[in-house]
Amino acid sequence: MLAASWVCRSCARSVGRAGFSSTFLRRASTAKPALNLPPALFERARILAAEHDQLSAKLADDFDAKLGERLGEISRVAVAFKQYEKAKAALSELEGLLKSNDPEMRELAQEDMKDTHTQLADSSRELSVALTPKHPFADMPCLIEVVPGPGGTEGRYFADTVFKMYQLYCENKGFRSRIIKYESSDSIGSKGSEGEIALQEAVLEVMDVGSYAHFRGEAGMHRVQRVPATETKGRTHTSAVAVWVLPAFPEESTSSAESQWDNPESDFYIDPKEVKSEKMRASGAGGQHVNKTESAIRLTHIPTGITVSMQDSRSQHTNRENAWKLLRSRIAQKRREEREDVARQLRSSVLAQSQLTRGDKIRTYNYGQDRCTDHRAGVDFHNLPDVLRGGPTLAKVIEAAQAHFTERDIQALIADEEAAATAAAGKSKNGK
Amino acid sequence: MPRLPPTLFWQARRLISPLAPLILPVCRDLETTSNELRWIRDHVKSHPSPIPSKLRIWQLVDKRSNGTPLQYVLGTQPFGSLEILCRKGVLIPRHCTESYTLYLSTLISSSSPSPIKVLDLCTGTGCIPLLLTFLLPSATATAIDTSPISISLAKQNFLHNFSSLPPSSNMTFTQNDIFSPLSLPSSPDILTANPPYISSSLFQSTQTTRSVRHFEPKLALVPGDHLKQKAIEYNCRLEDVFYARILEIAREIAAKRVLLEVAGWEQAVRVVEMIEGKEYGTVGIWKDEVYGATHIVEETQIGRRKIKVIGEGEARAVYLSRI
Repeated sequence: MLAASWVCRSCARSVGRAGFSSTFLRRASTAKPALNLPPALFERARILAAEHDQLSAKLADDFDAKLGERLGEISRVAVAFKQYEKAKAALSELEGLLKSNDPEMRELAQEDMKDTHTQLADSSRELSVALTPKHPFADMPCLIEVVPGPGGTEGRYFADTVFKMYQLYCENKGFRSRIIKYESSDSIGSKGSEGEIALQEAVLEVMDVGSYAHFRGEAGMHRVQRVPATETKGRTHTSAVAVWVLPAFPEESTSSAESQWDNPESDFYIDPKEVKSEKMRASGAGGQHVNKTESAIRLTHIPTGITVSMQDSRSQHTNRENAWKLLRSRIAQKRREEREDVARQLRSSVLAQSQLTRGDKIRTYNYGQDRCTDHRAGVDFHNLPDVLRGGPTLAKVIEAAQAHFTERDIQALIADEEAAATAAAGKSKNGK
Repeated sequence: MPRLPPTLFWQARRLISPLAPLILPVCRDLETTSNELRWIRDHVKSHPSPIPSKLRIWQLVDKRSNGTPLQYVLGTQPFGSLEILCRKGVLIPRHCTESYTLYLSTLISSSSPSPIKVLDLCTGTGCIPLLLTFLLPSATATAIDTSPISISLAKQNFLHNFSSLPPSSNMTFTQNDIFSPLSLPSSPDILTANPPYISSSLFQSTQTTRSVRHFEPKLALVPGDHLKQKAIEYNCRLEDVFYARILEIAREIAAKRVLLEVAGWEQAVRVVEMIEGKEYGTVGIWKDEVYGATHIVEETQIGRRKIKVIGEGEARAVYLSRI
């Protein structure tokens, strides 16, 4: 009980708040559901673990690069499976102890029970994550493309803010990044309230391997609600900025087929015959007769109609290389999305509803309420200035989005496995 | 040059910057103006100096506004992955030169694995041999120019771009007139040249832009009148006299490949007709945009030779190869 007979209400409230960090999480809709691994998935894990043991025994005798690669692929599953088995064994042992006659023993077992349960849940989650097929672009660097949505200059100013946010985030996290394109719209001279320019289109390349997996959840419409600098009556406006995350072809080429762009099998492959390249202004005799500073390059991929133009650098060579890079990334992403669409149509489950399409808003930045909401994870974060500075709060937002993606992948995997299992069961029944 | 409408100046002032109307007459449109202004700002930002940057920007814009090429104003021009220093009195490297040099390097690196020898005549800033040695690390290069300013600038460019390496002997720069007797390395793998090739009548016409006529060295653009006697000896036009001499040199030293920049289709045809003998089995004409447009290939016939025409744009270079 409190020593004082009464406490002023606002003081009481502040006592309650003291323990809260500024990032208040609304976790109600994202509490981790208890995972029950379907038997089919469990069976697959068992087989992979057995294969892992076999392979490591074989590799102890003589080394084979191919087998080694396979071992690396499945080792995560094997480790997770072993941990899962261990937790399960511990659990059954504890259950045995619970039935013992010694009351002290029972008490101890009861205490351990809780820990073991969480261990089991964790390891089964880890196992399902390990079993989830990795995204084919997960190990690649990425391009983050920021384009303002339709509307006035307000959206363009905010596009610049979003672009700066990712740039600063990369700096804070120690990712190597590089601006490939940073194009302002016609009204170049005018500046927003915080010195941002009216952005037309900007592309940031994050060169670290695996950054595609990191930023994958950032793609979508980002919505801003604030009072623009140009607004005289103090009304809040809503505008949108589109962020696309494209896989980039890594500079240090590796041997895998996916990352070799001159391999026709790869998503990145473009037949040069299908690309129309034009220097934006061709004129006159050329050569020594003229001395042009224009270095703009425009590439058009004829079958898809995708156009890329680049004029940032004084060097035509750099512009051309960057334009090809962006074109390749866009086409790879498009091909991937088309394939995913087909896969999605095959999957006739509840999941189809939870899939987001390109046009859906994924995040809201509300200046008035100092709030950043991720709509997929259903999480609110406060301290908006820190988010826009690319600080630790943004890291939390990105983590939440990533967690949501992992969750969705696991659900999809389980749904697929269950569908396959019921189909197989139905078949065997018919067979009888 | 057509007159620019006053509205364009107002727009430049309103949309870009108060400095924009100054360089609009030389840039001719808003997009180029805003790009050039941005490059000037970037240049000032990346080269710190005690002078206030606003003043420096104004100085550079002022210099540019009288028509001085941007490359002379900023002192550099990107060429492939190199940064070439530019100075008054030496020709500025062009985009088409960059394009065919890049394509040439891919051709050479795919065909000859051993260390290659490059000979570049009329080198100017030295951009062609520098980019070739940069892209083909085993290459050795010799660069020759008649102008002492060019040779000193080419040496500076070598130090500017290869400063991390010790001043090695894989590049030599010599000041020499190619019409005088020369001592040249024998049988180079590639002989390149971007000689003066503009006829004096074209130089006076609007085909040659004002900034080139007024600010770039005539020595690098138009074959001088002192070569008239040579032209009569070689029995060719004055603007083609350098090609006649270079082809003679190529024959003497048995160059394996020759690449010559030309002004356009007519001159390319005249150069192809000048080739004597049957040493050079492959003859091609490359256009402005050849690197990255190598899939656009046409075949034509000039005299008895079959010619492969690669790329798009104007005809820009003649390529000869023994292989």
